[in-house]
Amino acid sequence: MQASPSYYAGIDAGSTYTKGALVDDRGRLVDTALDMTGINIVTATKKVYGLLLQKCGLRESDVGYVVGTGYGRYRITFGNSQVTEIGCHARGAHHLFPTTRTVLDMGGQDTKAIRINAHGEVVDFSMNDKCAAGTGRFIEGSARVLGLSLKDVGELSLNSNNPIKISSTCAVFAETETQEQLAWGNKLEDVLYGIHSSIATRAIGLLRRVGIEPEITFTGGVSQNPGMIRSLEEQLGHHLNHDSKTMFCGALGAALFAREKATNAPETEGRAA
Amino acid sequence: MAAVTATGAANFDDFDRSKRLQGEITKRYFQSLMAPRSNGQKIGYGFVMANPIEFFQAFDIIPFYPEITSLNISYRGGSPPLIALAEEAGYSTDACGYVKMGVAAAMDGTSTAIGKLPRPDVLLLTYSGCQIYIHWWEQLHYQTGAPILTIDVPYVREYDGHVEPHDVRYVASQLEEAIPLMEGASGKRFDENRFREIMRLSAEAWDLWGQVIEMGKLRPSPMDAYFEAIYYMAPITIIRGTQEAVDFYRFLLEELKERASHGVGPTPREDYRLVFEGVPNYPFFKKFWNLFRGYNARGVAATYPKVAGMIDTRSFRLNPDKPFESLAEYMIHAYCNWNMPMRTRLLEQYVKDYQADGVVIHSIKSCRSFSMGEGDMREHLAIDLDIPTLLIESDHVDPRYYSEAQLRNRVDAFFETLALRKRS
Repeated sequence: MQASPSYYAGIDAGSTYTKGALVDDRGRLVDTALDMTGINIVTATKKVYGLLLQKCGLRESDVGYVVGTGYGRYRITFGNSQVTEIGCHARGAHHLFPTTRTVLDMGGQDTKAIRINAHGEVVDFSMNDKCAAGTGRFIEGSARVLGLSLKDVGELSLNSNNPIKISSTCAVFAETETQEQLAWGNKLEDVLYGIHSSIATRAIGLLRRVGIEPEITFTGGVSQNPGMIRSLEEQLGHHLNHDSKTMFCGALGAALFAREKATNAPETEGRAA
Repeated sequence: MAAVTATGAANFDDFDRSKRLQGEITKRYFQSLMAPRSNGQKIGYGFVMANPIEFFQAFDIIPFYPEITSLNISYRGGSPPLIALAEEAGYSTDACGYVKMGVAAAMDGTSTAIGKLPRPDVLLLTYSGCQIYIHWWEQLHYQTGAPILTIDVPYVREYDGHVEPHDVRYVASQLEEAIPLMEGASGKRFDENRFREIMRLSAEAWDLWGQVIEMGKLRPSPMDAYFEAIYYMAPITIIRGTQEAVDFYRFLLEELKERASHGVGPTPREDYRLVFEGVPNYPFFKKFWNLFRGYNARGVAATYPKVAGMIDTRSFRLNPDKPFESLAEYMIHAYCNWNMPMRTRLLEQYVKDYQADGVVIHSIKSCRSFSMGEGDMREHLAIDLDIPTLLIESDHVDPRYYSEAQLRNRVDAFFETLALRKRS
């Protein structure tokens, strides 16, 4: 007799990275996986799911339910259902830091401020408008023109003693804005810290729209950037929860939803492919 | 009467004849305007908000609304070439889409998705709540040579919504003073009895339209008071003051009562009741509606269908015995002429009166008079009053500002939140 599946997966197909997370039947995080999304979302999600199973030494049949989230959630062919990343980040942040009441998710193309209740459920949320100004894309543009990695720009910015003010947060003009500031003779670390500060200011505006209630948990890819953490904490005057798993909060939340849905999932709702 | 099959299942199409009738009325209206004018028929350009159409009609002048032609052209996918023309002429991408389309459509040799628009004989400038419109009409004056008649409409300044009698007199006297100019533009003498009769017919249409709007209070609501009301509001805007408008609203009211008695509505079920604020997106109107329809959500109340007149707030009532004063009150109480506390309170009132689950605010990039302050509205409703409120953004006519993935993400998340609230 075959054992019933006792793992649940979440796949977060974001604009820059696709993330995967697996939880066990008690909702404990087993492992995570990550890859660039690239141009083919379907391929990326399959690859990350395969990677996740491989890391955990599991087969597809061990997984009882898959929830897709992120912009590509409707393209996850092996997913059983979809939840928005707003709901998933809330759930994931609450799982990692149970007393979280406010979540700031900063991704490659959007920033979200989410107010949650004691159960990790979304009470209110606010997102950047349709423009990607003030999102991770700005840092990416600056890193590209400097030939640095995303990790480097954050770490380098921490050396700044005299951060300069950058008013433009337009992601499209990030490269020219960075070059211009350097051409004026500003130090690299001061320019970089200025970039992080200006994006932090915008993100805090979003947080204020939903109301800032501690604890605040910082999620999404940019939560791994120490320069952004410092800028946000300085301007907010608050500690931010974050760790190496917070960039997987969307996928983790999706996996937790998968576990929840599996117990109520109708029998007919089988795998799509 | 509407058909119900032997199994008891009702066919929605049989309960959707008013929309087809509205389509025919609008088509006829446009055809009459586009036809070559051999009979000396005069056309007056006006704005939807605060527009004294009854005053036009008293001089046999057909009102023509460049805002409505812009939305019609956009609905048919025809806005990009007109917007491009205006931008080539130097208009900013940030300038109002309606204005850009209107200016482009009036350029020599421009044809639109609904044909070549007629030239105005008079431009009636009642710019309630929108300064940009002043310059639009001035531009049309340069392009066409038609005279501008300006009626200055004071803002509703008091937060309790009361308007001083001298403000009403100020607007009424401007209308009275405009009579000689209108006589000159139309070649017709002003006939006060005819004006009163038009006012009587208009008041009757307003009363019926007011009853239609209130049908959204029923549970389930027999109509979508946003997405369907956008069709239903056409006659009150373009042909009120006529028997045809009265007949249309009587027909519509009956149809909605039929829908209610058969339990039929624009979605298979009514799972969510929403209040809408803001101008819809016209280039992707049906896709935009589907974002909500897919969740069996019905708009039960909305501010936008009241841009023709705030009938449900009892702010005005046309009175044939006081035609100038009552018309002035109507003009002052245009939606974008209201102050922000009044607009926000109205949304709050709608949530209570229509037993809504939440509010959706659709902000549009190119209209400041509508979209200004909507962020504050959202905050007040969501944070101070704990009413689930979603703010989304695109444009009413410019498809460049419509991003389906971005909108869907926010709308899906909003419904997840509403679902949680319903469960708890």
